[in-house]
Amino acid sequence: MKPQNLIALLLFVVGAVWALTRSERTVRNIQSSYYSAISPFLKSGAAIETKAFDFIQEVEHSKKWEMKYKLAKEELDQRRMEVAHLRKLEAENTHLNQALKFQENVPFHVIAAKIIRRQPSTWWHTVTIDRGDKHGVGVQLPVLSPEGLVGKIDAPSKDTSTVILLTDEKCQVSAKIDGTPEAGIVSGLRDTAEGSPHLLLRFLSKDANIKPGMLVLTTGRGGLFPADILLGTIKTFEPGPLFGEALVEPAVDFKALKTVFVKIPKPLTSVREIGAATANSTGR
Amino acid sequence: MNKYHFSLILLVLAACMAQQFSPAIATLFGARILILPLVYLCCCVCVDFASMLLLAFICGFLWDAQHTLGAQGGDSTIYADPVESLRFGYSMILYAMMGLFMQFMQPLFRKAKWHTSTILAGVGIFSYLFAEYLLLNFVRGDFTFPPSVLYRIYLSSALTMFASPFIFWIISQLASSYHYNIRYEGLRQKFRYID
Repeated sequence: MKPQNLIALLLFVVGAVWALTRSERTVRNIQSSYYSAISPFLKSGAAIETKAFDFIQEVEHSKKWEMKYKLAKEELDQRRMEVAHLRKLEAENTHLNQALKFQENVPFHVIAAKIIRRQPSTWWHTVTIDRGDKHGVGVQLPVLSPEGLVGKIDAPSKDTSTVILLTDEKCQVSAKIDGTPEAGIVSGLRDTAEGSPHLLLRFLSKDANIKPGMLVLTTGRGGLFPADILLGTIKTFEPGPLFGEALVEPAVDFKALKTVFVKIPKPLTSVREIGAATANSTGR
Repeated sequence: MNKYHFSLILLVLAACMAQQFSPAIATLFGARILILPLVYLCCCVCVDFASMLLLAFICGFLWDAQHTLGAQGGDSTIYADPVESLRFGYSMILYAMMGLFMQFMQPLFRKAKWHTSTILAGVGIFSYLFAEYLLLNFVRGDFTFPPSVLYRIYLSSALTMFASPFIFWIISQLASSYHYNIRYEGLRQKFRYID
């Protein structure tokens, strides 16, 4: 082997060993810096994506209206368009009202966040949200939706955060079955098809009386998630030699998620607090 | 290291940014175009061994910075059976292995037509994803290989490989702009120094 190749190989091995032996904290710092660097691209990309989606919808609607134009009078079409627009506004208003009510009704502090990127990696079930360190979002904080638990924060950066979804094998939640003394650990399955993500509830009693349709809730144990948050409903139960396992249908429709809520320790109310948080996040 | 190599590093960084906007296609089992691995693979064919390792380090570093998951967290008495993840840095090794494969294949590219190069890039991506999934099974235990995984790997490779002629075209343009002569010698000639 040429000397320069040998030196390159040695340097590479040293570099790889350096990377593999980094502590959790160092890796988190590297990831935070990386996401801080790319967050402007992510945010502007998400905005362009939304505009493109609106444009495509607009084009599709235009084609439909053109078809109808041939069948009905111009005035009638105009009215229909107005009604369609109002319905869209009404639906949007209902959605925002639900989000607002959820934010007002939950017994803890939450901050609303928009999903700006879905499943960026091949194997992990994650999404990226537009809230980060400077909004008070920290690692391991629970992420919720009005329907139930969504997941937890995995890697917060200054402006954005990665959320590991409940459907990922890595996201484990202490859970109980409503109306029974049964409790266990819920996690995602290693690789479920995109259309039907199910959860697995393990460590149940092998002779437990569990029926399909029963609600699965968080226990609040383990220090990560608040108690009595809906996770899903029992689909099937399989008694094993030592423990029983149940397949759970998630309460949240992960494909339709647009807005989520991050449970934060306390809200950043004043401009001063937000400024301090920003300074802390940039100073890391 | 010359301007051509710097331009390839910039191309890799651009690919990393473009990767952010490559969505998973739900109807194709979550398959996606893997832009960064593809650009890396194509670059590996067009550089020498030392530059390939440098690119493997950069790409692996960026990939892991984006994808590495954090620790389990929570009370260890409740979550007594934590799920392991791939460590930061593993991608560097995978990328280097992938690059080594492409370096071995380099002579095939010398007089190859575009479809040979495309298929080889597809094989490289397939091997990479397959190795990554095997590694994931190894660290987490309980080997499972459902058909959806095979479809995802296969479709991701297929989608990605169709983009490879375009990447090769960009690299050849960069090489001609900076008067760099791509040699496609492969590793065989260099390995004779071991004997």
